[in-house]
Amino acid sequence: MNQDISQYRELARRYGLGGTPESVSRLTQLVARQDADVDEIVRVIEKDPGLKARLLRVANPHAENAAAYDIENVDEALMRNGIGCALLLAMGTPLSLALVKAFQAMLSMNLEIVDVNQLPGLVGHHMLCSIGFAGKVTGHVYLRMSLESGKAIAAAITGLAPEELGGDEIRDAAGELLNIMTGNFKSNLCDAGLDCKLEPPKVGMSEDHHTPVEPGGGIERLGFRVGKINLFIDVTANPFTE
Amino acid sequence: MATKILSVDDSRTIRLIVGKAFKPYDCTVLEAGNGEEGLVVAAREKPDLIILDVTMPVMDGVTMLTKLKEDAELKAIPVIMLTAESGRENVLQIAKLGVRDYLVKPFKEDQLIEKAGRCVTLLKRAA
Repeated sequence: MNQDISQYRELARRYGLGGTPESVSRLTQLVARQDADVDEIVRVIEKDPGLKARLLRVANPHAENAAAYDIENVDEALMRNGIGCALLLAMGTPLSLALVKAFQAMLSMNLEIVDVNQLPGLVGHHMLCSIGFAGKVTGHVYLRMSLESGKAIAAAITGLAPEELGGDEIRDAAGELLNIMTGNFKSNLCDAGLDCKLEPPKVGMSEDHHTPVEPGGGIERLGFRVGKINLFIDVTANPFTE
Repeated sequence: MATKILSVDDSRTIRLIVGKAFKPYDCTVLEAGNGEEGLVVAAREKPDLIILDVTMPVMDGVTMLTKLKEDAELKAIPVIMLTAESGRENVLQIAKLGVRDYLVKPFKEDQLIEKAGRCVTLLKRAA
């Protein structure tokens, strides 16, 4: 195993591959261990103020602000939401960064991560892309956007003029974007010992999508914006069982 | 004679980006939508370089690469993997099969050209 890791590091250096963020790597490794110590998990979360804030927000779904929280510490939040939820929230960071990087590299656009509540809601006919992941951690990633956003993305990514784009090109570009994001997500999970496989992406249209969450499962909602493009991502994880 | 590049990816978007990246160079970019088609095109056209995705329907990139390396006529063709998956197991498995380079999506066209330029001669197309 150690030899594999050093071989991989050498290959990663030679090929110029990026590594998994340290906090995500530590948390996923702890969760993957059969004898995971909750106190250690709490310490990792405590060291990441952003992750701690998101976990407390999810643990207090009805509170309008931090002052109204019933659950005020990481221990209690983990008791309420489970370790799988903390992992899901931690994975939201590399997932978001993968999308931002995809926009910078392939569309030359600076995508901004925003509070999903700041975005105007998606109403009526819109694009819905989804991909399932299955293994030690199971769930789905959903990407939603207006058809106009989908067209703008496809035009920027392919270099084709909007009038040259058909439905196939728009769907394919959106599906590839989701593929890139979740490929990164899967790599992080697998490297931490949480082996999983991705299902083929599905791309279609929806009128009134409601993201399904299994009882005891978690959901992380992420919002992104650049110019007139607004993107909505939901990541769901089913209850974590070892 | 133009350099022949074969792009094997189930995403038309990626094949378009690869084609766009090589447009300024004296290259012919051939396309295939999966590993099975990729092997057929490789056997027929004998490309100078193959740019290969991993996760594809019908035949994935790892299977195509394995078959390519078993074929005496095709095994010397340099292959650059172009994939969204950079997991340790994937990279180790693919490296053992013998790829020239590995590029993780998302990527910039410049990165692809730089890596391709290390495998084949890329000459700017005459204006």
